[in-house]
Amino acid sequence: MKTKLVTRPINWNKVEDVIDLDVWNRLTQNFWLPEKIAISNDIQSWGTLTPEEKQLTMRVFTGLTMLDTIQGTIGSMSIMPDARTQHEEAVITNIAFMESVHAKSYSSVFSTLCSTADIDDAFRWSEENPYLQKKADIILGYYNGDDPLKRKIASTLLESFLFYSGFYLPMYWSSRAKLTNTADLIRLIIRDEAVHGYYIGYKYQLGLAEQSAERQEELKAYTYDLLMELYENEIRYTADLYDSKGLTEDVKKFLHYNANKALMNLGYEALFPKEVCDVNPAILSALSPNANENHDFFSGSGSSYVIAKNEATTDDDWDF
Amino acid sequence: MLNLYGPDGEIQFDKDKAAARAYFLDNINQNTVFFHSLEEKLDYLVENDYYDLGLLDKYAKEEVKELFKQAYAYKFRFESFLGAYKFYTQYALKTFDGERYLERFEDRVVMNALMLGQGDAELAKDLVEEIISGRFQPATPTFLNAGKAQRGEYVSCFLLRIEDNMESIARAVNSSLQLSKRGGGVALNLSNLREQGAPIKKIQNQSSGIIPVMKMLEDAFSYANQLGARQGAGAVYLNAHHPDIMRFLDTKKENADEKTRIKTLSIGVVIPDITLELAKNGDDMYLFSPYDVERIYGVPFGDISVTEKYQEMVDNAEIKKTKISARELFQRIAELQFESGYPYIMYEDNVNKVNPIQGRINMSNLCSEILQVNTPTTYNNDLSYDQIGKDISCNLGSLNIAKAMMSPDFEKTVRTAIKALTAVADMSYIDSVMSIAEGNKRSRAIGLGQMNLHGYFGKERMHYGDEESIDFTNVYFMTILYNALKASNEMAKKTKNPFDNFENSKYASGEFFSKYIGGDWGPKTDKVKGIFETAGIKIPGDFEWVELRASVMEHGIYNQNLQAVPPTGSISYINNSTSSIHPIAAKIEIRKEGKLGRVYYPAPFLTNDNMEYFTDAYEIGPEKVIDVYAAATAHVDQGLSLTLFFKDTATTRDVNRAQIYAWKKGIKTIYYIRIRQMALDGTDVEDCVSCML
Repeated sequence: MKTKLVTRPINWNKVEDVIDLDVWNRLTQNFWLPEKIAISNDIQSWGTLTPEEKQLTMRVFTGLTMLDTIQGTIGSMSIMPDARTQHEEAVITNIAFMESVHAKSYSSVFSTLCSTADIDDAFRWSEENPYLQKKADIILGYYNGDDPLKRKIASTLLESFLFYSGFYLPMYWSSRAKLTNTADLIRLIIRDEAVHGYYIGYKYQLGLAEQSAERQEELKAYTYDLLMELYENEIRYTADLYDSKGLTEDVKKFLHYNANKALMNLGYEALFPKEVCDVNPAILSALSPNANENHDFFSGSGSSYVIAKNEATTDDDWDF
Repeated sequence: MLNLYGPDGEIQFDKDKAAARAYFLDNINQNTVFFHSLEEKLDYLVENDYYDLGLLDKYAKEEVKELFKQAYAYKFRFESFLGAYKFYTQYALKTFDGERYLERFEDRVVMNALMLGQGDAELAKDLVEEIISGRFQPATPTFLNAGKAQRGEYVSCFLLRIEDNMESIARAVNSSLQLSKRGGGVALNLSNLREQGAPIKKIQNQSSGIIPVMKMLEDAFSYANQLGARQGAGAVYLNAHHPDIMRFLDTKKENADEKTRIKTLSIGVVIPDITLELAKNGDDMYLFSPYDVERIYGVPFGDISVTEKYQEMVDNAEIKKTKISARELFQRIAELQFESGYPYIMYEDNVNKVNPIQGRINMSNLCSEILQVNTPTTYNNDLSYDQIGKDISCNLGSLNIAKAMMSPDFEKTVRTAIKALTAVADMSYIDSVMSIAEGNKRSRAIGLGQMNLHGYFGKERMHYGDEESIDFTNVYFMTILYNALKASNEMAKKTKNPFDNFENSKYASGEFFSKYIGGDWGPKTDKVKGIFETAGIKIPGDFEWVELRASVMEHGIYNQNLQAVPPTGSISYINNSTSSIHPIAAKIEIRKEGKLGRVYYPAPFLTNDNMEYFTDAYEIGPEKVIDVYAAATAHVDQGLSLTLFFKDTATTRDVNRAQIYAWKKGIKTIYYIRIRQMALDGTDVEDCVSCML
């Protein structure tokens, strides 16, 4: 936390923390809009889902929309004042914007696949579901609190942990060859969230190192407490959603896995032992954020293209 | 499982085999309809309208039985899970409700042999042998549809011209629907269409250019899918000197307006030599109004060599022109390739310089390996045909290089493959698109492809792109060319019926052969010499070429075009090959399949011992890939789908440099550009093999 006495223009030629630049480059390279993916190619596949499966999918997506809404309009903004560098502020604006893009992309999935009545139903559900509302309340509570490091903890747990109960389902469908284009879109979101969680966690660790040993202990305890609070709610939320499909146990493992990941991002030890994190490999593989999959024009757009780094050719290049 | 390391950090290849086995036990065997005997099975399939009776009737009952016996005696087993999965989900005949399987791999092979043999039991027997052994693999449309009563067409690929009038544009949309419905990919040439703002009936600023045409085509392809087997797919090509070129490219931009954005239509740019010359000098390039060009020259813009007429057109005040920076065009193309993989590129002059057929090649197809000449169609006022021109179709099939090299009779393998492909050309007559039907009847063009080159390199312990591998590629493709021409020549001799307009080709004049006679095309390295000696494959020398030249000049060849190297997606998985003549994309490939989602595929012939020869395409880099392709290009009359692979550290400049290098080496077309981005440290999935390797 520093107070800025004079207003300085941001100078990207003087980068104080090289991670800022790395992340900025990565995020801008990864820029995308939902129109990129031809979701309409999933219409047939959507038709093969049972009414219950459709409802589940829509609810899951509404839940995700909710989280992205919080993150885009409140979450990212609330960590902005605590930025350590101007470049960090710039990165956070990008994060906030992309969260809004994410929130909007769920809507484009809805509008392509479902009827208005169903969509309204799902949104109503999101307003009435106690676990989803509680989840939002917990996170919002910390965003509105006055401890900058705690805000970062909340933010990291949201990005790296809370999203994943929702991400599970499209990955599950994709591993069963359903809604594969929607899965591509979700993978783009995951690709972004992975970087966001990592970055905010990293900034948290920098801030943490400056604190007294006592306060460090307090924050650590706080992290695990908050995680457990969220975890217990998340388990109920998961059961509420996935019990009908019999997937709850599988999703839980996935939650454990990602909870550990979130803790790692914050620089802490994993909480859940390996045995309860043995996520279905089909899901893990579907999740990998690397852009190295292979596809062709019969298969849709894929999630592996990036924005180009432009560089003009020189006369030597044209030497023939 | 395959994609996660085993306890000792090794790749768990056995998991793939286990997955394939489990797939059979749990899914296939339980869901296959059981028959007591072959007779019972065939009777059932014919009576219930699954198999085409007309096809079986061409053979004696005994002959059919013998072929099935031959196929089953081979004891075929799938070598990977993905191979088995692909076969049963995409190719095998299923009951009409889609619930149960009616065919095994062997049955599909025999149905192909029966269909391609056209009643010749001896040929059908050879075909069973070549296909079941994996040496020859027909392309998807043929392999999928052969012998079925409810089926699409056997032909893979169609290329259509569009002329600058409403009749032709409307016909193009109609033809796209018809051809998509029948199972082929369709490419269309937009170069002839007048640009945005061009006059209509002499009134200025009326035309809305090519984008709305692209939109119509895109919708047409989305609407027509091939019995649900796969989505319709289409591509459009445009000459770099068309005034709409920048708008054309912008349709693929990430932030393009929804009204102009093109999502599922593939795009390709036709680049003449002059564009590269202008870029070299840092000059601006002029774009010419196709409307004016056609008015002045009396031929459509696409049929003009821009390189040849460039200065003349620049100097002609009657041609409306705009200009852009040539280097910027290349940079824009590269930028777009990062974002979307598109556009494909066709180097127009590289293509036409070595084209042995009379006429001009002005476009390519969806996979950028088909390169043939075409002529325009004209229409009457009531939309009936005035003059039916020649449009392009091509049916494909590929040899598995590793297996072909082990063939007991290499010449026969090639001959059988050529005969099989020709059979499809002879049988096809798609009369809903007359220009295609007529074009095929006259040219009987086929495309013999190749696959599993990298797998073979791995097996023979050569590094992709080193001296020996390039040497092998050169000798192999020359030997293929020789045997393919010989087979086509034999057919022409037998039928006394060479392809239409053979007499005006460079085959007829003998010019085609001059580079081989007295040329130095034999093996340069001991390794390659040894490989061919051990395999017992005769490499053609002066004597053979002289003899072939004489026979071709006298009797002609049956097929206007013979070779085209496709990217081989699905069929290379079934055949357990590496795709096409590309390097592998990854030791364990993550493949996105429209209807399957993500699937994992270990490179064929890869073991935990020979990994060093399985460097992936991103590590190998574009130059070596281009070198290998250049060696093959020298002996292929059509094109080769060439994908270039870059790491995410690459800039547009690196892509441009590779494009320039490819052009210099005589490469005809570039297919996709692929960029690999690795996850930031700390964000990827732990212990995932396809990330770590």
